[in-house]
Amino acid sequence: MRIISKYERVSFVTDSWVMVLLAMGLSTASVAADLTVLDLDQPIRPNFSGSWEKDFRRSDDWEIELNRTIQQIQREAQLLASQSSGRRFQSSRGNGGNRRGRSNVVDLARLAEFISRQPTITITQNNDEVRVEREGDAALICGIEEGVMESFSSKHGREVCTWEKRQLIFEISLTNSAKILHRFTVSSDNQMLNMVTSISSGNSTPFNLIQVFQRYDAPPDEFNCEQTLSRGIVCSQIRPR
Amino acid sequence: MCAAKSDHVNENFLLRKIAKAISRVSFHAIFLLLLASCAQTSVRTVLPPIEPVGDVVLVESSEVPTENLQLEVGVLVFDANPLNEDDSLIGDWIFEEIVQNETQYLPYVLRNTLVESNQWGAVRVLPQEDPSVDILVSGTLVKSDGVTLDLQIQAVDSTGREWLNKTYSDVAGDLDYPDFVLSTHNNLIPPNSEDPFKDIYEQIANDLLSIRARLTEEELVNISRVSQMLYAKDLSPETFADFLQQDPDGTLRVSRLLASNDPMLSRVSEMRFRHHLFIDTVDGYYSALYEEMKSIYDLWRLYSYEELLEVQIGAQAINPSDDYGGSGNFLSLTQSYNRYKWSKIYEQEFNALAVGFSRELAPAILELNSRVHGLTGTMDEQYDQWRIILRDLFALETAGQEDLL
Repeated sequence: MRIISKYERVSFVTDSWVMVLLAMGLSTASVAADLTVLDLDQPIRPNFSGSWEKDFRRSDDWEIELNRTIQQIQREAQLLASQSSGRRFQSSRGNGGNRRGRSNVVDLARLAEFISRQPTITITQNNDEVRVEREGDAALICGIEEGVMESFSSKHGREVCTWEKRQLIFEISLTNSAKILHRFTVSSDNQMLNMVTSISSGNSTPFNLIQVFQRYDAPPDEFNCEQTLSRGIVCSQIRPR
Repeated sequence: MCAAKSDHVNENFLLRKIAKAISRVSFHAIFLLLLASCAQTSVRTVLPPIEPVGDVVLVESSEVPTENLQLEVGVLVFDANPLNEDDSLIGDWIFEEIVQNETQYLPYVLRNTLVESNQWGAVRVLPQEDPSVDILVSGTLVKSDGVTLDLQIQAVDSTGREWLNKTYSDVAGDLDYPDFVLSTHNNLIPPNSEDPFKDIYEQIANDLLSIRARLTEEELVNISRVSQMLYAKDLSPETFADFLQQDPDGTLRVSRLLASNDPMLSRVSEMRFRHHLFIDTVDGYYSALYEEMKSIYDLWRLYSYEELLEVQIGAQAINPSDDYGGSGNFLSLTQSYNRYKWSKIYEQEFNALAVGFSRELAPAILELNSRVHGLTGTMDEQYDQWRIILRDLFALETAGQEDLL
């Protein structure tokens, strides 16, 4: 049995460290080559980009959610009624009311379902903006900067967006005092996307609908298309690598 | 056949006049409506409404004007009001890029109108102020879209006399656009089609002409002499500093005259001639850009016109009585959301077209900036370099001659 001298041990340990450091250096170099340059002037935002498909099992069923909300409203109403013993109950929120200019929770729930039907969404994100594409609806586009940004405005409504910690928020104000709020969050492993749609009208209690999306690998585009003015949309086939 | 064509032209002219008259009457209403709407390529500066120029006939000369009247005109690349950060929406940068392209294109339309009038000497588009021309026309693009063009125009002669300082406006209607159906493939408006805002340029040209008509022959001669001395002073400020004098009203006049056979004067004339060759070349580049850009730009304006009409129609469609039984029920909510959604989709498609427009123009703009061999940088920077080269050349050629003056 060969006894390793102290010198050899030191040398072996040193060599091992050199190898480890060298390997780390090489792997760091290859990782560094893949990393995008960090712009310290830009706020760091979670990465939402990718193709997402709805996980129906984990997402809210709008009818169940509607029943739950109605029950909650009824409970609150009963509580208020019992507190105001004898006095005629007057709801300040008017959720059950059907007065002009306000919507009842059933209408809000139906609208939430109407605007959340897309089974898939595609999100692209770069250093300037994040773009949420939904089939059959206008894209939700927001900048990366701090503060509230106006992303669209017309006679029919106004859309603002902002970042709140790790959440991306869009608020749409329609002309008939209805407000639609979309809150996007992405899981830390970037595999799951949460989209909470909150709809309110006037000062009513908002109706919330949670949708969960799973990341999926969309087939790569075969064509690279560009919009031109004189020739319409021009596409060229992408060569396989 | 000719008679039939002439009748058709007259009919078109009459229709245009009627359309212009209608557009003038409804101008304020349209203005308020469009102000409230999202005018895409507008520079988004809210200004009081400007009365449109209406239907204008360009005053043309059938004969070449006399030498004194042949003032050389330089039309500067226009300025644009910067986009107001507070008013701008995400993605508006693309419209700023279009405005930048327009600032190089629209001066050439004015230049062509001045040439067409046959009332002036050489007319050129210039990237920056030039001391060798008699009249310098500068402009700021206040608003530009398919319906409205507002230009703030200033014209100053070499003596410093202000000819124009006015904001012009023109409103286009259906008849200002060629009979053309937009399709998804091969959209190109015929290259010889008239500019939908040609009246605005013709009005500017006519206004310049009316100012010139008010000047005496002596004043016109003075403008040419001052231009020559200003150019000489630009070449060698030390040598020609005391050849010009400022009058109490702030205008310049020539205080000393050199003999017509003076060698220094002939050197200046030679340099000026070389300089004019250079600015003719520069003007040629703007001409190439104009030719390249015209059909695509006409198409862009037609899209913009259609888009603004769409916004107008959409705004008119908002009628509270259309709601199904009040503003709070499901049908009313979905109706409201759909209106919002489609207005947004339409605007996003328009933005995509704007990107396509800039993408198609990019090679032409790049070519404009890279065509002068030996000089580097943008057209503006090359122009500076050229003037420095001429100054150095002049200093070399006239070394030791200054003492003779």
